[in-house]
Amino acid sequence: MIVTRGWLSEFIDLEDISDEKLYETFNSIGLEVDSIKRVDIPSKVVVGKIISCQKHPDADKLNVCQIDVGSGTRQIVCGAANVVDAEFVAVAMIGATLPADFEIKFATLRGVDSEGMVCASSEIGLPSMGKGIMILDDSIGELEVGKELRQYDKINDTIIELELTANRGDCLSIHGVARDLSVAFNKELKHIEYKDIATEKLGIARVADLRIKGEIDANLCYKLAITEDFKSQILIDLRLAMVGVELDGILANILNYSTHATGVILRAYDAKSILGDSDKMLLQVYSEEKGIVSISSNDNILSIVGVNQNDAVVAGDSSTMLLLESSYIDPDILVEAISQTDMQKDDFYYKTSRGSESDLASGMSYLSNLLSVDDSYRYYEGHLSVESKWEPTHISVDSKEISLLIGQEIERNKIITILKNLQFGMKGREDNKFTVTVPRFRHDIKNIQDITEEIVRIIGINNIDAKRLSFVESNRLTDTTNRYLFKKSLRNRAVSAGLYENVSYLFSHRDTLLKYGFDVVDEKLDLANPIAEDLNTLRTTLLPNLLDAAKRNVNYNEKSIGLFEIGAMFDSQREQREVLSVLFSGQNATESVLNSGKPKMIDFGSFVQKLGSIIGEFSLVKCTQSNGLIHPYQSADIIYRGQKCGYLSKLHPVVQEEYGIEDTFIAQIDMDSLLPIHIDVTPISKFQGVYKDLSVVVDSSLPYSEVDKEISSLELEILKRWYPVDIYSDESLGEKQSLTIRFYIQSMHKTLQDEDIEETISAIMDRLEQSCQATLR
Amino acid sequence: MKHLEDKITQASNLESLEKIRVELFGKKGALAAEFAKLKDIPGPEKKAFAEGLNKSKAALQAVFDKQYEILKAKEIEAMLKSEEIDVSLYGNVAQKGALHPVMETMDKIIDYFVAMNFAVESGPMVEDDFHNFEALNLPKYHPARDMQDTFYFNDGGLLRTHTSPVQIRTMLQSKPPIRMIAPGSVFRRDYDLTHTPMFHQVEGLVVDEEGKVSFANLKSILTDFLHHMFGDVEVRFRPSFFPFTEPSAEVDISCIFCKGDGCRVCSHTGWLEVLGCGIVDPNVFKSVGYEGVSGYAFGLGVERFAMLIHQIPDLRSLFEGDIRLLEQFR
Repeated sequence: MIVTRGWLSEFIDLEDISDEKLYETFNSIGLEVDSIKRVDIPSKVVVGKIISCQKHPDADKLNVCQIDVGSGTRQIVCGAANVVDAEFVAVAMIGATLPADFEIKFATLRGVDSEGMVCASSEIGLPSMGKGIMILDDSIGELEVGKELRQYDKINDTIIELELTANRGDCLSIHGVARDLSVAFNKELKHIEYKDIATEKLGIARVADLRIKGEIDANLCYKLAITEDFKSQILIDLRLAMVGVELDGILANILNYSTHATGVILRAYDAKSILGDSDKMLLQVYSEEKGIVSISSNDNILSIVGVNQNDAVVAGDSSTMLLLESSYIDPDILVEAISQTDMQKDDFYYKTSRGSESDLASGMSYLSNLLSVDDSYRYYEGHLSVESKWEPTHISVDSKEISLLIGQEIERNKIITILKNLQFGMKGREDNKFTVTVPRFRHDIKNIQDITEEIVRIIGINNIDAKRLSFVESNRLTDTTNRYLFKKSLRNRAVSAGLYENVSYLFSHRDTLLKYGFDVVDEKLDLANPIAEDLNTLRTTLLPNLLDAAKRNVNYNEKSIGLFEIGAMFDSQREQREVLSVLFSGQNATESVLNSGKPKMIDFGSFVQKLGSIIGEFSLVKCTQSNGLIHPYQSADIIYRGQKCGYLSKLHPVVQEEYGIEDTFIAQIDMDSLLPIHIDVTPISKFQGVYKDLSVVVDSSLPYSEVDKEISSLELEILKRWYPVDIYSDESLGEKQSLTIRFYIQSMHKTLQDEDIEETISAIMDRLEQSCQATLR
Repeated sequence: MKHLEDKITQASNLESLEKIRVELFGKKGALAAEFAKLKDIPGPEKKAFAEGLNKSKAALQAVFDKQYEILKAKEIEAMLKSEEIDVSLYGNVAQKGALHPVMETMDKIIDYFVAMNFAVESGPMVEDDFHNFEALNLPKYHPARDMQDTFYFNDGGLLRTHTSPVQIRTMLQSKPPIRMIAPGSVFRRDYDLTHTPMFHQVEGLVVDEEGKVSFANLKSILTDFLHHMFGDVEVRFRPSFFPFTEPSAEVDISCIFCKGDGCRVCSHTGWLEVLGCGIVDPNVFKSVGYEGVSGYAFGLGVERFAMLIHQIPDLRSLFEGDIRLLEQFR
């Protein structure tokens, strides 16, 4: 909603209120100021009166004008076509400096002297009003030849853009904003005097009749007028341009202007085209669905209240008989009804859906005052109208309750004064309790907290003292809190492992997921209105998002790209779960003197190390997961605390090439399985332990995990831990390889003897011979 | 004697000192030879000779020990010197990543509220109309729904447009008093310089008996919180409108770039809008079956905080995993 200081001044006296004060007040009463701009017409731009205007002898498109500028007559060459229609114009005198440092100098145009410039609105700091120069009239104030235009307050105005909250339909007009200001400034609104309008002898009933069928939810008022022609007024066009309303024909501008000023929805019909051949029209008002109120004549729909108007009957600048309509409909009813249809809505719908002004007479008077520029404009006697039933809202208010909500004692009388100024009705003012009646234009106010909000905004939040809340202390370390704290430490460990935290959208491209063999969300459960084709589904993995990020970083010339993301993903049934995803691509380390500037590429082992320093100890078995990103021979399931918790893999070389990145490893781990568990400590032995290596020859195809499983199943008490330390193969071993395992053997009860150790090793060897066809090297 | 002492003090390294030690103190050394003479010395003089000899030996030993220490120190120094490296070559070898600025900002926000005895709560991202709108006093066709362009699913579900549904879920699952925050990602169908389809919010809710929780309390905690986040700034509350709170306010801080003088970032107003808040609307309590309670709620956009705190110019860059941006937070 855009207002101007000058326009507001039609409704409220702002003479002693500075722009700064206006800005502050708007913000403090909840009408947020988006921008405030002072129009500043340059000096030496004056009112000029065109005495004569002739074609330039040597240029078709130029006119040579003699213009009275008060201090004498100036000859000025002008290129605008509409100068021939003008009487009064804005003249920039020699020496004037227009915006963008455009200085007006004496000039000779195709051999003709020119002493100044006839200006368009946009050339002197006013909003653009379309083609041609600005033609002045006395709507901006009495025109005095030679007077500087910046002296005309109505146009050298301040433009203020307000960001209205959705509940404040009542402030979608100049009058409405002035009404709110009147409370803040404790000033009464001005009483506007309208001129008397001549009436025809005929009554409106001779030409039009209104028939209402059934219950309707709208208020309507019709007047009939005749006119010879419409006169444009510069002030109307300028102000509409200032408040961002597109300019149209003269009548349309006047209607828009009146609606913007008063908030009343005003339309005009060409009465003759409704009448056609007959000499009387019958307007039928009916509502087939609640909230959709139609007006028709001869089965021809003329308009839907608050929604649109039939183009065929819209009055234009050539109309001579006008049927003027003002209307109101309850926004709550309208919006609900409209949401069920796909009806076409015109520009007024924004106002009607948020609540237009219900005082129809105010709008009609304002409009008629602007239309009746001379005697040719006359009313038919009387009007036709219909009013829906309306019950005002009553709210019982307890001033103590308001004080408690605010947290500060607000005097009862103060509350009453504020509400009265806001045009609320009052009943029963004993004690702290009273009943208020909500004015119709505040349909958003429904309960005591709404009333409290009114009090708060008028007294100003900054006048409320902050107070600490005392609250029952309690253990609020909920599961979610603990989970958050754990994730935070996990993220910090990932950072220490050299990874950057990534944040990506929850979305993915369905085709990409399908291409790489991931699950996709069932179509019946998928997004109905995605924002873009490549974000058209919920992600069922985070890995493509990390790959996209890796690719971007390669484009930015990064050589070592380590990323992790903890985030939500979904299964085909749209069940949400949280995963930790990790990607490492390219060089394993930063380039430095350590590696002579040529660090190795990331490899399986290094990636596992990084993962280990994030999540802790785990083991790996052959990968059971399958998707297009996984390298079938360099991938593994991650076994964490005995359970499978996710997978890691080298990126499939084909995908690597598709993304244009270097060697890359990926992992996806379920967050739930990483959450901390309770740990009981095993006692530490006081006796010396022994390391022992065993080298066995096994089939090259036998995974170590099988060997590991066999050793584990022996459940040897003194065998504390074991791990592979070497793999060796050469031609002599053929299809087999030598595997060296290191054992740590220690007893809780005694110092081990050689035979204890040998017994353990031979038990292991026996088992490996039997189950793994191992031989001693 | 003197010439023996000189020999020791003239030794230039531990190796030659060792040689001298053998020459002097060894089994076949000079001192041993002197002691050997003892057996030829007659009884009465023997004692005095032996005493003299022992004295000389002790004196020589002392000179030796001193020289040994000097030479040992020299040798260690030489060894250390030989291991000298140019440490300045190694400034870039450490590999460390960084937390994402949005997440790190969220951490800082959560830290404050956890310290204030708030619980962290969460909820699903795929929500239903009841939890995301209806229960929050946003009935169908409410014009305020226009403010939040929603992602819908084919079965009528939706992606939460704010973290407020977590309030509803928490209130339905527990009883007052409640003191919680809900951090998390939220989704709106919008993409331009200042909007991304996903962003992060932190929502706060406090509920206690009727008449206990007031707007003045809200003012107090949020002012303190904003000082925690932005340091010494001015805080301004402006009346506003949210369907789920009444009275509602938007909270501004004095512009941290121009200190309130007016600059491009604050659109020359001197103020930056950072928060929305208010007293919980009775309709919200009604929808979760609470009676006789009062409460406040607030919500903020984490990206906006991160961008202001770190002067990050482009919102969209936060979702691209761009290491050139992230590495600045190492």
